[in-house]
Amino acid sequence: MEIDRADGRTANQLRPLSWSRNTLHRAHGSASWSQGDTKVLAAVYGPKAGTKKNENPEKPCFEVIWKPKSGQIGKLEKEYEMILKRTVQSICILTVNQNTTTSIIIQVVHDDGAVSFDDYVFQYSVFISLLPCAINAACAALVDAGIPMKHLAVAICCCLAESGYVILDPTKLEEQVTLISSQYLFADLSEITGIIWLE
Amino acid sequence: METKASVSPATFLDKIVVPGDVVLDLSSLTNQTIKLGGGLRQDCDSISVMKAGKLKFSKPNKYWVESSHKRYVPSVEDNVLGIVVDSKADNFLVDIKGPAIAFLPVLAFEGGTRRNIPKFEVGSLLYVRVVKANPGMNPELSCTDASGKAAEFGLLKDGYMFETSTGLSRMLLSSPTCPVLEALGKQLSFEIAVGLNGRVWVCFLMPFLELIGYWVVLFSSCSVTCSMVNAASPSTVVVVSNAIMNSEYLSGVQQQIMVEKLLQRIK
Repeated sequence: MEIDRADGRTANQLRPLSWSRNTLHRAHGSASWSQGDTKVLAAVYGPKAGTKKNENPEKPCFEVIWKPKSGQIGKLEKEYEMILKRTVQSICILTVNQNTTTSIIIQVVHDDGAVSFDDYVFQYSVFISLLPCAINAACAALVDAGIPMKHLAVAICCCLAESGYVILDPTKLEEQVTLISSQYLFADLSEITGIIWLE
Repeated sequence: METKASVSPATFLDKIVVPGDVVLDLSSLTNQTIKLGGGLRQDCDSISVMKAGKLKFSKPNKYWVESSHKRYVPSVEDNVLGIVVDSKADNFLVDIKGPAIAFLPVLAFEGGTRRNIPKFEVGSLLYVRVVKANPGMNPELSCTDASGKAAEFGLLKDGYMFETSTGLSRMLLSSPTCPVLEALGKQLSFEIAVGLNGRVWVCFLMPFLELIGYWVVLFSSCSVTCSMVNAASPSTVVVVSNAIMNSEYLSGVQQQIMVEKLLQRIK
């Protein structure tokens, strides 16, 4: 059944995708990823000797720093950092480069505005498509830096449209009217990791 | 759940591979020894790719992934350029752009004894050879070749050092001589040391080394000296460095044209 999306896409069609690698001169690996109007820049530094205090020295340590387009760093950014760190730890090989730290810095260049909810339900504005874009950018930057990885990771966001159909890669307007949206990460074909946002 | 397609090695040879690609299925090969180089790992019964790059094969049984990055993976018998970071009682701590800092024993010099330990300042550039590179341990270096002679290893004074990717270093050290170095050597005189860890050092030669005609001398330690009739000046260092940095993604002919245009403009 055909459903009408505001920008004329079908239910399964993604927004125009573009990415480039080695964009930063000083970073050991870098990539910029844009899906439609959402654009994220990822930089990887490392592996460098030494791990942080509470980290296991028998494994390489990954630290993620999320820099929003504007504003202070708050709980949302910390949550993104945590999700990204766990993603990176699951796709990178943890038996090489022991006792080293690899830093991944995510800079949000453009996030297609923000979706705001009622103040008494949510304290912050969040745009759901940003995290999958950042995961894709981080994976591309890790490949550019030559960090040994088990497999690549791909992330996508999908939501439930008003008509009851599942649509992929929603824009800001489609997200505002949706009841539920979720983001999926595909790394190893035998397991799928998903995060579901309910509103 | 997933059907395993039979993977023959020929499907991926000399093609770009990404992490996660399975390039060899070991269950189909019986009683063979396969040597895996950088970028490949064994996952139960399959060989899969760890780093993105081009899959290469060398007879009879060596597979590896060739890629170019800004960081270096230490391996034995590589000649690299290191920067002294600190000095301890037994070792100098040298940074070679790898995941761990490398140790250079104070006695690893030709005729080195406890009485004539060299003094290196923090920040000095050394041309060294990797002696040990075990996973999980700091690499060990030496300023002598395998027979104990100095052989051009040691401190590099003056000159200019710049950082490139490991792929460009390999191209500069390839034989026959890389087109950009050959084109530059025909017209300029300079001294160059290329480290496999992505560091290149260029220095100008004093004019008293004038010679007629051009000759390229490749030492066993892979340090290249090119010399010509024209006198040298510090500007040659700048020209040579810029030419090398621009030549990474150019073909042989393009490199020659680029060097010609560059030298025409400065004459």
